[in-house]
Amino acid sequence: MKMDGKIRVATDARYKELYNNMKSSGTVGDFHELFFVCACMGYRRKKSIPIKKRDDRFWSSTITPAEWACYYAMILEQNEFDYVKVSEDKELLTVIEGYANAGIDILIEEFLKDYLLPISKSSDPQLDPPCCKELPKQFVHFIFEQSESETWDN
Amino acid sequence: MILRKMIVENFRQFRGRQEIEFLAPFLPHHNVTVVFGENGRGKTGLFRAIMFCLFGERRLSQDGDVPREELQLVNVSVLEANAGQPVRTSVELEFTHKGQSYRLRRAILGMQDGKRIIEEEDEKRLFVITSDGNTKTIPTTEIDVVIDNILDRRVKDYFLFDGEKIERLTRARIEQRREISAGIRNLLNVDALETAIRAVGRVSKELERELSNSSHEELSRLLKRLSDNEEEQTQLCKRVDDLADEIRHARQEVDKTDNELNKFNEIRHLLEKRKSLEQDLKDQEQQADDALTGMHNLVCKASALIVSPTVINVFEHIERQKQKGEIPSEIRRDLIERILADDKCICGRGILKDPAAHSHIRDWQKRTSDVATQDAALNLWRYLSEVRNHFGDDTDLLEKRLQQYGNIRSAIANINRSLENVSNQIGTSERQDATKLDEHRRKLQDDIITLEANARNAQTLLEQLKQEEDRLRALLKEERLKVGRNDELSRRSILARDTQDALKGVHDQFTQEIKQLIGHSATQLFRKLLDKEGRENLRTIVVNNDYSLQVLDRYKKPFLANISAGQRQIMSISFIAALARAASRGGQIEIPLFMDTPFGRLSFEHRQNLINHIPTFASQWILLATDTEFRRQEANLLKTSGRWGKFFILRSTYDGNTLIEEQDINSALAILRNEED
Repeated sequence: MKMDGKIRVATDARYKELYNNMKSSGTVGDFHELFFVCACMGYRRKKSIPIKKRDDRFWSSTITPAEWACYYAMILEQNEFDYVKVSEDKELLTVIEGYANAGIDILIEEFLKDYLLPISKSSDPQLDPPCCKELPKQFVHFIFEQSESETWDN
Repeated sequence: MILRKMIVENFRQFRGRQEIEFLAPFLPHHNVTVVFGENGRGKTGLFRAIMFCLFGERRLSQDGDVPREELQLVNVSVLEANAGQPVRTSVELEFTHKGQSYRLRRAILGMQDGKRIIEEEDEKRLFVITSDGNTKTIPTTEIDVVIDNILDRRVKDYFLFDGEKIERLTRARIEQRREISAGIRNLLNVDALETAIRAVGRVSKELERELSNSSHEELSRLLKRLSDNEEEQTQLCKRVDDLADEIRHARQEVDKTDNELNKFNEIRHLLEKRKSLEQDLKDQEQQADDALTGMHNLVCKASALIVSPTVINVFEHIERQKQKGEIPSEIRRDLIERILADDKCICGRGILKDPAAHSHIRDWQKRTSDVATQDAALNLWRYLSEVRNHFGDDTDLLEKRLQQYGNIRSAIANINRSLENVSNQIGTSERQDATKLDEHRRKLQDDIITLEANARNAQTLLEQLKQEEDRLRALLKEERLKVGRNDELSRRSILARDTQDALKGVHDQFTQEIKQLIGHSATQLFRKLLDKEGRENLRTIVVNNDYSLQVLDRYKKPFLANISAGQRQIMSISFIAALARAASRGGQIEIPLFMDTPFGRLSFEHRQNLINHIPTFASQWILLATDTEFRRQEANLLKTSGRWGKFFILRSTYDGNTLIEEQDINSALAILRNEED
């Protein structure tokens, strides 16, 4: 639990464009914010998917203390408060990457799909700029709705 | 630039040769000149004379689409008296700049041919009086360049302006901002640095072209991709420019159509209503954009709420551990481990002999953790406590912001409905031609919406290409290092690119710093010029990257959409002063502030502040004021400031012309009216 800032945090390579698009459209300020949303979504639904093709996305130094605290809380709760499981930040972030990877799929399926260019097998998900004027607001609204939803997938 | 004298001859309503001397001889600190006249006496005519003389411009920004033939400059009564004969009209301006004196003269010839008035340019001359007393004539072809170097025409509206219109500076559209930005960069001498960057860029490109023909496959491939990316960016920049031009033309066409529609008196009130609704719509859309821009700040707060049950659960667990004394533990774990290892209690007894004691100590060992873990758990408890404490506020904030945004959208929907209603009323007028014009107008509005959407998309694409370019450059740098610095061509190419990057760095840092400096300086003046209430609410002026302005309230939130026209005017003046101060490297402004209708929208406290402060930071302040805005109260204040040098009255003559009459400033008080009058 050192909040180690020297770790490269990765996402699946196929979400690289989407991360870039979300940032350049002003929907999120930085990559770590989108990653945090995805991790929270994945954890809340108790879904984790290992990354197939790792692609370093950002340095852990950009993660805020509040985000770190939430990540530690998730791993502690998941492991029945075994502090050993949160002692190594690198290992912890690998687990969180799995949640974020599942979370981004949920995000696309339940929200972002209306804002994306048609997805084919050969193409990675990408925002369709003309549809995205209100995306920042709708995105916050969607996340807020998730927080108010009582349903937890166990 | 200090304006010394202006001579007008047969210009607009000024018949014959008349002059205004702006500076009182031997009183350099009396830097305020007031030209006083009722409406229609020719104040704007003098403003027009300055613009015409300096830049050859006949059309002022407030003229809109008035046809050129209605903007004639030659005095009508002289033309009528000399029908069929050419009449010369001229404006001569004497000014000093950086220690040198200039005399600029511009003239046109006019002739009345029946009902038609023909005007053509006649003479343009600029003389420079050097320090040794000699006079040098500037070649005609160079006059505009010399004047532009003294006062760039792209920023002239900043210093020579109509007080009631200057607040539009805070509403400048994208295409206007582009032009303003270019003018400001010239004023601050940034464009010289930009020329150097472009020159080094060309050298670098040439070297990279040579390199791409080399035998290094990966290097050639990257250079090809980079070159394609740059080509795409150039095309896209051009597309963004073209779109801005198209939008500007479409807006001009809308204004033109509105003028046509204004001719239909019976629907005038509807047209005015529509204009006002459109302004409301624009303001609301601006507010919606501002709200959207700030949304990303809420993403993390909202996300933390998703895992709030987890945060609370873990927080409460650690809290319980704290209450039980497990964190921090009552007995240190290393002490328990030592007791078990040594089989010796702190009192010296062996513990293996006492199974009950041994079992207790084992229990303690299970409950305690090492010091580092305990510290980390306590830290986590603190962070979680902070996160948990914000949940309530964050929920309220999110609900409030979403609600606010919803309200704005609903206001926009209402305005759109009202607009449609008003447009339908205009459209169902019996005037067939008005209906057609209105359809044309609607189509133009639709075109503008499409064009603006295209411009936004092109801008987004451009940003993505820039990101890709940065990535390619990083790869290229690595690849070049692999190829080796011994390769002469590669070495030169790296050097050229590094030089370009370094120059760009200097440029970016300089422009960033200058924007901060202008914002800081504008804020200082803004706070001096504002009235008490304004000072409490409005805190900081921010100069955005595109040189548009924003004002932050006491909570550091954007507040521009809510301030009054008077406050906007004060804000614009503060920005202009800060800009001029930056251009004169922090010294006194070397550009005159020439203000038509300076106080029209301002409260007395604002006027008072302007009168007290502007003469101290501007080298010259020329006011063209009416009787309602320049009263005995304002004159008294100005007199007390000790800066008032000259006072002129514009009087109408029997034949409808205007006479410029100089008056002693002491007599002004007798002429001007009181507030009660």
